Amino acid sequence: MRRHSPRVFRTASRFFRRREQVEEAAQEVFLKAFTQLDTYEGRGSFEGWLTRITTNTCLNLLRSARRRPELSASDLSEDEGAWLEHNMAGEAAARQQSFERGVVAADLADKVLSTMSEDDRVVLMMMDGEEASVKEVSEATGWSESNVKVKAMRARRRMREAVEKLLGI
Amino acid sequence: MRDEHVKKLLDEAPLSSLGKAELASVRAHVESCDECRRAFDAAHLSSRLLQSRAAETFEPSPFFQTRVLAALRERRAAEEERWTFAGLWKSAGLLVSSMAATVAALAVFTFVAPQEQTTGQEVAGTYTAESVIFDEAGDDQMTYEQVLTSLYGDEDEAAR
Repeated sequence: MRRHSPRVFRTASRFFRRREQVEEAAQEVFLKAFTQLDTYEGRGSFEGWLTRITTNTCLNLLRSARRRPELSASDLSEDEGAWLEHNMAGEAAARQQSFERGVVAADLADKVLSTMSEDDRVVLMMMDGEEASVKEVSEATGWSESNVKVKAMRARRRMREAVEKLLGI
Repeated sequence: MRDEHVKKLLDEAPLSSLGKAELASVRAHVESCDECRRAFDAAHLSSRLLQSRAAETFEPSPFFQTRVLAALRERRAAEEERWTFAGLWKSAGLLVSSMAATVAALAVFTFVAPQEQTTGQEVAGTYTAESVIFDEAGDDQMTYEQVLTSLYGDEDEAAR
């Protein structure tokens, strides 16, 4: 469990932002892995099998707590509004990077992602956030590669439109 | 690229995966196309937001393993309890159904069997000596006991 915990936590962190939620999801993943260990046929890597369990468990947890509010510029905090403004205004690169690395950008990302479907969220976080390949996403989710491509394309368009709406452009 | 809109290209692949040449031609296009510039700005911000979000990750707490093992034990105990209860429930069901079968069998022996004997006597009583002698009822349908009853039953009663 010690060996695989970081990977499970990293995957669960794509879906949840609060530590308790991530831990709860990770716990559920390990419980499932223990009870379903006999279903692991040893054909793929164990890490891949565990990642798939993690992804599906987190997707199910997200679906069970479905809440997809509409997001408008008035929902943004002052910092989030400032982040968008600075990035649009093309401030100094160093300042941008410090913002981007900060909690504000992640908060804002989470707000935008919370308005999208669970599938959109997964595919965006994996492909655009972590630069995972189509094949990796396909293995983690169980979706076909062509399905991943279609989902990614639609998710990017929705994310782009949500950001455009926030920017009021 | 100059005359083609780049929106589709922005949606097809992550912005970070575009090559230098591709990115340069996208930039060149958005200089002259407002619609694509807005899309490009939004895609650029989306990409940065997602990367910031992806950078956030949690490390397992020191007690995580203990918690998981405790939860696993708890879940197994609950499952065992459920199996035990299911076993008890099944045994109780078997006991109840066997008791019901016994009661039904006793009821059959108590109420139905004696009635069958009575019915036999009643049937015998319907035959008369004349009907037997003149073969009105048909001998092949009568038992030996019925024949005797029909022939001597009345005399015996009279003698008593």
